[in-house]
Formats: sequence, C-alpha cells, structure tokens
Amino acid sequence: MLVLLIFVALILLGMPIGFAIGAAGVAGLVDMGGERFLAIGPSKIFNGLDIFPFLAMPFFILAGEIMNHIGITARLVQLANVLVGRFRGGLAHTNMLASVFFAGLTGAATADAAAFGKTLVPAMVSQGYRRDYACAVTAAGSIIGPTIPPSGLMVVYGSLMGVSIGGLFAAGILPGLLICLVCMAVIALGAKRNNLPLAASGAGAGEIWKTFKSSITALLMPFIILGGILGGVVTPTEAASIAVAYTLFLGVFVYRSLSVADFFGMLVRTARITGIIFVIIAFASLLGWWLSFNRIPQEIAGLVIEYAKSPAMILLLIICVLLAIGMIMDITAILIILAPVLVPLTQEIGMQPIHAGIIFILALNISLMTPPVGACLFVLSSVTGEKLERIAAKLWPFLIAEIAVLFVFAFWERLALAVPRALGFI
Amino acid sequence: ETKVLKFGHDNKADPFENPAHACTAVFANIVEADTNGGIKVEVYPSNQLGTAAEHVQMVRDDVIQATLTSTGAIASYYPRIDVLNLPFAFDNNAATYEVFDGPFGAALAGDIETTLGDVVVLGFPDTGGFFEITNSKREIAKVEDFSGIRVRTMTLPSHQKIVQALGAEAYPLAWGEVYSGLQTGVIDGQMNPVPIISFSKFSEVQKYLTLTNHLFSPYTLMISKTFWDGLSDSEKQTLRYAAQSCVAASRGLSRIIEASDQGLAGLKDKMTITALSPEEREKMKQATQPVFEALVKESGDAKQLELLDQFKAEVSKANGSSYLQ
Amino acid sequence: MSDLASRLSAALNAAVERLVALLMLLLVVDVWIGVVDRYLLHLQLPWPEVLARYLMIWAALLAISCGIARREHIGLSILLDRIPESLRRISLMAMDIVALALFLYVFWFGIGFALDGAKRQALIFGLSLGPAYAAIPVSAALAAIQLLLVLMRDLGGQRLVDQTEEAI
Ligand code: NA
Ligand code: NA
Repeated sequence: MLVLLIFVALILLGMPIGFAIGAAGVAGLVDMGGERFLAIGPSKIFNGLDIFPFLAMPFFILAGEIMNHIGITARLVQLANVLVGRFRGGLAHTNMLASVFFAGLTGAATADAAAFGKTLVPAMVSQGYRRDYACAVTAAGSIIGPTIPPSGLMVVYGSLMGVSIGGLFAAGILPGLLICLVCMAVIALGAKRNNLPLAASGAGAGEIWKTFKSSITALLMPFIILGGILGGVVTPTEAASIAVAYTLFLGVFVYRSLSVADFFGMLVRTARITGIIFVIIAFASLLGWWLSFNRIPQEIAGLVIEYAKSPAMILLLIICVLLAIGMIMDITAILIILAPVLVPLTQEIGMQPIHAGIIFILALNISLMTPPVGACLFVLSSVTGEKLERIAAKLWPFLIAEIAVLFVFAFWERLALAVPRALGFI
Repeated sequence: ETKVLKFGHDNKADPFENPAHACTAVFANIVEADTNGGIKVEVYPSNQLGTAAEHVQMVRDDVIQATLTSTGAIASYYPRIDVLNLPFAFDNNAATYEVFDGPFGAALAGDIETTLGDVVVLGFPDTGGFFEITNSKREIAKVEDFSGIRVRTMTLPSHQKIVQALGAEAYPLAWGEVYSGLQTGVIDGQMNPVPIISFSKFSEVQKYLTLTNHLFSPYTLMISKTFWDGLSDSEKQTLRYAAQSCVAASRGLSRIIEASDQGLAGLKDKMTITALSPEEREKMKQATQPVFEALVKESGDAKQLELLDQFKAEVSKANGSSYLQ
Repeated sequence: MSDLASRLSAALNAAVERLVALLMLLLVVDVWIGVVDRYLLHLQLPWPEVLARYLMIWAALLAISCGIARREHIGLSILLDRIPESLRRISLMAMDIVALALFLYVFWFGIGFALDGAKRQALIFGLSLGPAYAAIPVSAALAAIQLLLVLMRDLGGQRLVDQTEEAI
C-alpha cells in the first residue's frame, strides 16, 4: 500500500512515469529490509531487457523514422484523403483511414498520434473542425497502429508469455480494421451534431490512381514485413531489421532524400525513444519482482477468481481490471507486472493463448487513450497544445465504440481467431 | 518460530504437467508435514521471480532459499556442469538414476558446493527425460539424414558443436521465437525432452520425431547455505529425504508423461516417430563424442576433465548394470 | 552556474549521442549479418544473437541520459498545472532529486552486479558477463550526472511533456 501511495504521489508531483515506477520498486525493496534485497535491482533491470525479440522495437521505430523523413507518411495521408475525403467530415475519415495505412509501418500508437497531431490536426482545424474534436479523432485512430501489425506491445507480450508473435500479429489485423470502421461510423453519426465541415470536392478516378501509384512503395511495406514472417523467411525481429533495410534503400536510392547526417539523427532518436520505453520496462520488472515476491498479483488474481462465477465472468473481470489499471499506469508496465498472473487464469478457463493475447493487447491499447495516464493523450496534448481533459471530453463516443469491439472479440472466439487460423498459426 | 523456505522455479504450476512442479510439491508437502509446520515452504513457479539464472543468484544471496536450476542456467556460475552434455552417454533412463544418485552425483554436488561456496546441493531431479530431435524436413534414421537441417539450440557451445558434428546446422534462437520459427520455417528442427515437445505443441509444426536420446540434462536442486546453516540436524535430515522423494517424483512424472497421451502415445498420431537402430546410434556417438571431448579439453580445467572421466566411468558402469542384481 | 550546467549537459549529451548512434549502427549491421548468415552464408555464427542483445541494452540504457538531457521522459502535469508556479518549481526540483537518488542507487548496486558478472562466464566468446553487465552502472552514472546538470540548468522551470512528440 505504501509503495502504491509513493508511486501515485511521485506521478502527481511530476516525476516521469518510468522513474516513478523505479522509485516505488526501490521503496519496496528498502521496506523488505536488508542489502541483499537492494542488490536485486540491477539484475532485474538487466534481465528485464535481455530479451532478443525486444530488438524488433528499435528496428520498427527506426523504419518509421526513415519513412517519416522521406515523406512516405505524407503520401499515405494523401491517399486516404483522395479515397474518403469527399464525405461530410472528410478529413476526420481521412485521419482514421490513414491510421490503418500507417499501422503497417509502425508498431506504436504514440508515433501515429505524434505524426498526425503535427500534420492532420492543424489541417482539420484550418478547415473548421474544433481542435479538441480533431485531437479526439486522432487519439481514437492512433490505437489502430499497435493493433494492426507490426506492434511493439505484441512483441513484448509474445516474448514474455511464450506466445507466437506471428500469431498475435495475424490476430491483430481484424480488430484493427474493425476499430477503424466503428470509429468512422461514430464520426458519420455525430457529423451533424458536431457540425463537421463538408469537403470541397471529391477526387476523380485518375487522381486516385496517381496518388495510389505514388504511395505504392509505402503500401508494400506491410507486405514485406508480414510476408517475411508468415512466409517463413524471417522472425519478427529479423523482419523489423529488413524493414529498416527496405526503407533505407527507398531513402537512398529511390527518393534520394536521406543523407548520412539525417541517418545519424535517426539512429540517436531511435535509441532515445527505445531508452524511454526500456526505462519503463526495466523499472517495471523491478517493481514487478517486488510485487511477485510479496504475492500481490496473486491476490488480485485470487480476487478475480473469488468474484467470478463463470468463465465469462472471469474474462469480463480480467478486462475490467486491465482497463481500470490502464487508467493510471503505463501499459508496458501493466503487461510485465500483471500478465504473468492474469494470463494463467485465461488458460484455466480454456482460452486459446493467441485469443487471450489479442484481448490483453486490445484492452491495453485502449488504455493508451484513457485519462489520466494515457500516452497518446500526453503526446497529442503536447503536440497540439490542446488540454488533455478537453480532448478526453470529446473522446468518449470513440472509447465506447472501441470497448464494444474489444468485447465482440473477447466473446466471439471464432471471429477473433479467424485470421490466425486461416494462416495456420493455430 | 516458523522458518520460511521460498522455492522458485521456471516451470508451470501444475504438478501433473511438469516434473519441476511435481518435485517441488512433493518436497513442500514432506517438509511441512515432517517438521510439523516448523518450516513453511512457499513455491514460486513459472519464472515469477525471474530467469532460471537469476534464481541461482537469489539462492546464493539467500533472497529465496531453494531453486531447481537447469544445466544451462547454472553454467555461467559453474561451467564444469558442461560435462553432463557428453552426447549419447546413457543407454536408458534407469542408468541416469544410478549415476546421479551414486558417487558421481555426490562428487558433482560436492564440487558445485565448493565452487559456489554459498549453496547446498540436495539432488538432481529429472527435467523430462532424454533430449530428442524433431524436424519438419525428413525422417532422420541415419546420421546422413541430418545434412542441411537447421536445428535450434540454446546458446551453449557444446550443444551447437554436437548438432554440427551430426551434420546439421545449429542456430541459437530465443525460446519465445521457437514455435513460430519452426512453423514458418526459419528453422527446421529443435531438440528437447518429450514432455516439452508435447506441451509446447511442436507436433503442430513438426512432422518427424527421432528418439535420439542424445542428451540428459537434469535439474540441480540447490538450497541457500545461509538458510541450511540455520537448520537443526533433524531439519537438515528432513530436507535431504524430502529432496530424495522430490527427485523420485520428477522421474515418475516424466515416465508417466512419456507413457500417456501427452507423450509418445499421443504424439505418434501427429508425427512420424523414429527410433534409432543400435548401429546408427553408435555412429552418431562416434561422430559427436570426440568433438565434445575436444571442446572440454580446449576450454575446461583439470577438475572438469577429472569430472568427465568419473562421469564416463560411472555411466558405463550404470549402462552395464541390471536392476536388483 | 545554470549557464555552465547547461553547456556541460549539452557537451556530455553530444558525446553520448555519438556513442549511442555508433552502437545502434553496429546493432543494425549485426542483425543483418545474422539474417544473411542463416539464409546465404550458412556459417552458423554463434555471436550475432548474443551481441545484438548486449548492443541493444547498452544503446538503450545509455540513451536514458539523452532523454534526461532533453527532458523527454513522459510525465503527468495534471496536478502541476493547477498549482502556483513557485510550488511547481519546488515539486519538479524535488522530483529531480528523487530521480537522482534512484540512479545513484542503481549505480552503486550496479557496480557490485557488474563485478559479480565479471566472475561469470558468458558461454560464448569465452568472455565473462562483466562487459555486458557494466551497462548498468555506467548508464546509471551518466543518468545521474545528467540529472544533476539539468536540475541546475532548469531549476524546476522545465515544461512537462515538452518534446514527447518524439516519444512513443
Ligand atoms: Na502497427
Ligand atoms: Na490510460
């Protein structure tokens, strides 16, 4: 309890989340008494990171950096715009669809939020959208990024829980597309009430074809990544390194807009972003050790079992626990600390490991945009200058729609596992 | 007052599904019952507290008091454990019991205790029996059949050398990537005991299982010396015979799994299972043992060579002995 | 003094960023070698996998100090936005000091961890685990130094969640 209080206090006082997790963990070790417990820390930090598949994260980040730099992100937005920009609220629909295209390149929601927060949100505002609404649309779409493969969180989940990362990637495709659809429906249904502007004109078939051709290199990327993994050429980690090679090739030989200095900057930025994630993973494995040693996750799992009378109730409670804790904690930290006790519960009720995995990942991705601790909200708020609570106020219809998608996939196993099954992962 | 023995291991919390938890469950039950609650055993399964190698460190630091560690996990602390990787050593499971319960087991335990200085070794439980090789390319009945097959190994030089000496290609791959790697064809095969092959559902992605029985890699049951030194003589005695039953339980469960639907009986519906002829097994032995021994001579110390000689002598004695005679 | 701290922080960070870029480059090349070996060369190199893990850990841990220098580590400003500027500064300075203590702890016990690792064999290259484990005390020391410098540079005046557009 003391440790939890310390954690919450430090967060509220403005300490970075990763550091606050570490300080809370060390406070726990001090509380246990004895230098031998304090000596655990460095070992947990190192071993929490010493996991080969984690390499996929820096590589996908680096590939995304290169794609942004050589203008591929802009081409994807352009493509989405010629396809759906003509409807009322056209740019809002564009934002959603572009998230789907973008998802094939990046494994992180915040990358999507940052890229679109910088480009699409100003464009929407200049067309007459309210800024809080534009931010909410971007936040809602940003979680498509880590749902459709590749996905950093799936990499972490798969490597920690021993579940096929390729299988999780396959399972993410359908929910990602469905989230896009329901969010577009929310936009359309609320278009009048939110007084969304009408787009000027639609694009003709010729323009669509031209834009499609100019973004073909970007659209090929997901096929290279997924094709490589599913076709048995490479592991997800290696696919990520090939994505880097592919984007480098595009940057140097096709678009010729990548200099050595640019690449140096991207390497540094990739390392910094990886460092920001890894400090959270590392300190979460320290705090997680303290929690496990004191059997606290087991108590949470015990409570779930005590109150749940049926398998469906257990699943429902697990989702509620994830969404509730997802409001106040970083999602990677939740995964490291809670998954080891909650995942076995899903096995006890007979859930297929890939099914359980995709439900965990969907719930945690949704937590990226639930206040107060939601990484996508942080990013959008800082990029656009919009207040977090104003974004959150416009977000709830999207949130409800996405939670509905989560429940559909949680309780309709055949749908959830259709793609992994078709691709032979089960 | 009650003493607490925290016992961590890296396997699932089901005493009927894996030998490690069967072993700890039996150990906990006997210790708690026979000390009349004087020692309370808390088991932390499923890597809750970290990797297998971290468990060794935690026992050394008396953060936890006991663990079952694999030979791979203890190797960085005690490299001489590599002698157990002598390929194609044992003729049958019964011989492994005799060797690890006999003078060699005692000598190995003693050397681990002397080298580490802060642990007490109570036995060598079964991890699930002999290592077998599975692959998706072709039936392996002869040593030539290994040619060109990419086999996943742990990052243990001796395992890689053994696989290469058979004519296959050895690639290290993280455990989390093995299933999907086998499925997609990043690698063609892997090696593990039957229960692991069965519970990891490798039969879904592998067609051929060859009963090579080429390695036997037991756990080491180790206790923190700090904790041990704080026990009374009768408590120590209780822990010793609880460990003996723990080892017996791990062996019993391993054989039961092998014989059940979760073992060969179940696997044979999904995979082609090949037993080696004595001649082919001898060929594989001739191909791999000299390579392994050269590696030990090159990288090991005098004590390791001495242990290897004793291991070979005891193994050959056990291979030749028959039960109750 | 704040000016001096600012310049020292920037100089140290520039050096660390160069090192980090080099490690990242080696990491990318190392994993490519692993792929090429498996499909083309068949040399069965044992080191790309191990080396990749250690390069990744070194690069990412060193980069923590870069994130500190640029104030990129993600935090929450919900409460701080609602309190007077002076209190906010005190709070942020206090948090820098707590974080400094945290990294000093990691540094101190990290030394023991790395020294223990030096006695353990890494099973590959015939090396010990010392060089890999040294990433912990070295990066913690750098993080602590950067924290001290940016504490003196900003004195609690930094904007929260400032450059997070780069963070994921
Ligand atoms: Na993605
Ligand atoms: Na949240």
